[in-house]
Amino acid sequence: MNTYEKFRKMMDNHIMLSFKGEITSDIINMVLQIMETRLDAVSEKSSVRKKIFNVLVECMQNLYHHAEAEVEGQIDTRRAMLELFYNNEFYFILTGNYIKNNDIQRLKERIDRVNSLSKEDLRKYYREILDNNSISNKGGADLGMIDMARKSGQKLDYHFTEVNDNLSFFDLKVKIAKKK
Amino acid sequence: MDNLKIEGTKQTPEIDFNSSTGILSISGRSIPENTFEFFNPVLLWLDEFSSIAPEKVIAKINLEYFNTSSSKYILEILKRLRIILKDGKDILVEWYYEEDDEEMMETGEDYEDVSGLPFEIISIDDE
Repeated sequence: MNTYEKFRKMMDNHIMLSFKGEITSDIINMVLQIMETRLDAVSEKSSVRKKIFNVLVECMQNLYHHAEAEVEGQIDTRRAMLELFYNNEFYFILTGNYIKNNDIQRLKERIDRVNSLSKEDLRKYYREILDNNSISNKGGADLGMIDMARKSGQKLDYHFTEVNDNLSFFDLKVKIAKKK
Repeated sequence: MDNLKIEGTKQTPEIDFNSSTGILSISGRSIPENTFEFFNPVLLWLDEFSSIAPEKVIAKINLEYFNTSSSKYILEILKRLRIILKDGKDILVEWYYEEDDEEMMETGEDYEDVSGLPFEIISIDDE
């Protein structure tokens, strides 16, 4: 594929932002700044813009706190990806990061649980988790998943790809409906 | 006791807690990666405040965005206020949301339910 074809493909897929690398605090700030400007420029309702921004914050902080290193013990190999794009109906926030195979089961159960709940039950579950006493600096991934599901109003779409005996690649796609 | 004043940034909210008027305002956005660092001094201030709080305390919470790791700390702030309420003081939480921000309104209701404090949920014009 030559560069023009690559460019066309990005245009046709309506990619607003695409990033691969280590998610640092500086990167999070930069991405948020870029996306705020981009979202201000699209004629989208402010409630939709807010949802996108909120989900984006949670997604990036998940990557920041939970992405595993590709090479064990080498922090600079905590590479992850983030992509924002849209189609006629939805905005999509796609993230991908390494995860230890041992952690897959727990994460899968958590997402499946969130996906199985109705809007009202999701709200009850949010209140329950909010009120249970533990505070962790990582913010409790449960609350993050519930919050993303509530803001998105859609099921969380995820997939694990096995990389080796120790690691898999976890991708999560959150979609937010455009306002008709 | 000293008032607590912290300037807002792109990641952290503005804090303006006045120990003599009893007006405690939090506004802006709260999306830091490390929430403990930011909120711990706020909670420590409230611990001290609870013993000298005036008869009426109004918490004004006007946040545009906050991440889920901040949400636990917001509840911790409200729990500190609950201690003051139990001391027989008058507490009101004013929860502000932008008119079309239904989620922020619902979140206010969630906090009202979980904290058991008197809330006023107030819509503000999007300008």
